Amino acid sequence: MLKKELIFRNPLRLTGHEAEDILHSGGFGAVLARAGLGKTAILVQLALDSLLRSRNVLHISLDDSVKKVCLWYEEVFRNIADQYNIRQIEELWEAAVSHRLIMTFKVDGFSVPKLEERLTDLIEQKIFLPQVILIDGLPFDKGIRESLTELKKLAENSSMHVWFTVRTHRHDEPGLDGMPASLLHLSDLFDIIIQLQPEGKEIHVKALKGGLEACDYPELLLDPSTMLVRQ
Amino acid sequence: MEKTSEKVRNIGISAHIDSGKTTLTERILFYTKRIHAIHDVKGKDGVGATMDSMELEKERGITIASAATYCEWQDHEINIIDTPGHVDFTIEVERALKVLDGAILVLCSVGGVQSQSITVDQQMKRYKVPCLAFINKCDRSGANPSRVIEQLKTKLGHNAVAMQIPIGLEADFEGVVDLVSMKAVYFDGINGENIRVEDIPESLLSEAVGKREELIDVASMFSDELMEAALEDNVTDELLISAVRRGTIAREITPVFIGSAYKNKGVQPILDAVTNLLPCPSEIENLALDLSNNEAEVILSNDPQKPLVAYAFKIEEGQYGQLTYVRVYQGTLAKGDTIFNIRTGKKLKVGRVARMHANQMEDIGKISAGYIGALFGIDCASGDTFVHRDVNLTMTSMYIPEPVISLAIIPKHSAAEVNMSKALNRFSKEDPTFRTFVSEETGDTIISGMGELHLEVYVERMRREYNAEVTTGTPTVSYRETITRLAEFNYTHKKQTGGAGQFGRVAGYMEPVIEEEFVFENKITGGAIPTQFIPACEKGFRKCLGKGPKMEFPVTGLKIVINDGQSHSVDSSEMAFQAAARGAFLEGYAKAKPVIHEPIMKVVVETPTEYQGAVMGSLNQRRGIILASQDEGYICVIEAQIPLAEMFGYSTVLRSLTQGKAQFTMEFYIYKQVPNSVAEELAKKAAEKKKKNVA
Repeated sequence: MLKKELIFRNPLRLTGHEAEDILHSGGFGAVLARAGLGKTAILVQLALDSLLRSRNVLHISLDDSVKKVCLWYEEVFRNIADQYNIRQIEELWEAAVSHRLIMTFKVDGFSVPKLEERLTDLIEQKIFLPQVILIDGLPFDKGIRESLTELKKLAENSSMHVWFTVRTHRHDEPGLDGMPASLLHLSDLFDIIIQLQPEGKEIHVKALKGGLEACDYPELLLDPSTMLVRQ
Repeated sequence: MEKTSEKVRNIGISAHIDSGKTTLTERILFYTKRIHAIHDVKGKDGVGATMDSMELEKERGITIASAATYCEWQDHEINIIDTPGHVDFTIEVERALKVLDGAILVLCSVGGVQSQSITVDQQMKRYKVPCLAFINKCDRSGANPSRVIEQLKTKLGHNAVAMQIPIGLEADFEGVVDLVSMKAVYFDGINGENIRVEDIPESLLSEAVGKREELIDVASMFSDELMEAALEDNVTDELLISAVRRGTIAREITPVFIGSAYKNKGVQPILDAVTNLLPCPSEIENLALDLSNNEAEVILSNDPQKPLVAYAFKIEEGQYGQLTYVRVYQGTLAKGDTIFNIRTGKKLKVGRVARMHANQMEDIGKISAGYIGALFGIDCASGDTFVHRDVNLTMTSMYIPEPVISLAIIPKHSAAEVNMSKALNRFSKEDPTFRTFVSEETGDTIISGMGELHLEVYVERMRREYNAEVTTGTPTVSYRETITRLAEFNYTHKKQTGGAGQFGRVAGYMEPVIEEEFVFENKITGGAIPTQFIPACEKGFRKCLGKGPKMEFPVTGLKIVINDGQSHSVDSSEMAFQAAARGAFLEGYAKAKPVIHEPIMKVVVETPTEYQGAVMGSLNQRRGIILASQDEGYICVIEAQIPLAEMFGYSTVLRSLTQGKAQFTMEFYIYKQVPNSVAEELAKKAAEKKKKNVA
């Protein structure tokens, strides 16, 4: 009951995809923002949405320690529960966490072949079969297209979809299609691109591609005090 | 004579096992002239290090109980608590850290930051203990202090900064370059007691200049004065030390020193650092809870004139009776004083007051605020607070985990039986995580604790210290029973077998509760059960908790509400209602979907990256949930939750999987329901056992 309520109330489901996963197998999604605006918070909300539906989520962080990633989850989960006045969340939390695996790498030590090796370990030994992968902190620099293409194949073959955080910079000029410089010539690989945009005191959640394009959905904001998405 | 508390340092020495902390303590005591000869931990002279006062510790080369000692260095008085490195004894480490104002984190220059260093570091963080790092064993082959400093930064998140650089390494390790004075320091003489200060060797000069700049950079974040001086190229030693001190006390900097305690190199500078960089008692904020004000937090003042607040952090049963180690936080504790134990409310008269030096002691008249000492003949438990009658304060209670593993012990002969009970009595008073009881079913004495090694050591201590030879059974996991849903009961106990009859009816319901072991609520109205029989009902229910009806494990997480019943003017009695409650319990319990819970441990394995797949597999096979893996480049840290029942013998498995290169720590996490397959297995075993008992 509680679980259903949380899933139903998760505002991220308002991105225009009511049923099941927002992305299909092999699909890529990106959360874009400048540093400190709440990319990880969005990623964690996406993860919790999947975890509550008993989907296995592999969270890969290239910036933060395991402890910090865990803190993000605890904080966001507590805020969601507080927001909807849901009590006795321990069981729900325990159930959700059992579907989550966190992996942290040093940025320099991370590569797609390395991830593939780790995934093979996990899958072959039936330790953990991820259905959703989140990659937080991957630098979108030179040579990234090759890595992403490789990863897309891997995701398709393993029936997974992948969400990324992409850091943008204030001084970067957007491309002709409005895409920020970091995703220039890469947007074809992504099915959904969400951008966090500060406007005055508010942070708007806008879709650059997929999902939110349809104007039928209410405009979403990121509440800076709870880091949760709200209407 | 006592100095002012500005010149007091209460420090601990914490580390991973075998990093050499006891050796370091031994050298500290030698240089401060508390002992006159050095005995190594596993020394050929058979004397053992001074701080390892227990026989067993000397033999195994490990420190089991924290021994307190004090020494003097450069007009400062240093109280040292030597702490054990095994995770099984972390209650000792935690108790020690609670009373400390600072610590030396000893790291091995070869092994670096190991899993236990991470646990110890977390404990230091919890108690906000500022620390210095000492990278020991620089004479060993493979020594690499720079790598350890890097690990301090990346693995433990310390802002580690080198205060010294080594002159040579491994077999060529000669001394250190002090980056504050920019001098080379050598340790001459048989025991390294003669310090020779020289100019920095030419070959190390540029490295030393670079490292000093790094040090100034880091330290200047804590002192504008230093920053200005650095810009003007006018940094004095005092300015640099005072900035590093400020950062250290705020836990923003971890100054790193290097040496080899075993080879008597680099120990005196760490003593200088203790006096120069670690805080005195008044620089640390200590909090107590005010029992008269809803346990509001109160800051203690460290003033010897104020009413007494002292904390008993360790109890030992010595040859002269019970010895209680105390830290005085406020006021003064003097011989002849009358003090109050806040937990028991008992008035106590202070007899002898002493200062301990491992297992030797020295009588002192009083212990002032900020000091650590020992009391004789005071009846108390560890963790108790002593106060003056004018205050109603208690020190924050420590987190004490429940034991998770049990072992049956049987004395080999009748003489051993008496000694065994003496030993058990002492151990359970000294260590709150060690429990003992007699099994009603088998009559065996059962000991419970936090891990296999924990219990093993106590069995050994019984043999050594009390001459109590015992045989041990196989360790058993402490399972528990609980219910999962609300169930009603309505039971009538009726017996008419000649003479006075027995009659009692108890009705109500039982339901699961999360944070309590057992709750009993009386909602009887209109005297359906007369008031005098209500305690008998509660007693009847409580009696059922020890041995659950499902599989005879203790029942927890249960709330009983009685709301109706019936009595008979002649046949009702306390006994009848106790029996009725028992019947009601059994009736309700069967309907409340009882389940078995087992202890789940948090396991952290640290392994070279190439074995991470194999290690994850081994954890997965043990019904483990792998929570995370942290890739550190050459090493990988895997976190998992695994049932304790699956962890027996894991160290051997891990060793063979990783050629002995991986290690793990384990601590209790939570009780969780066992899967059906395991529950069936347990039921089978329980049935077999029952059959055997009947036969």
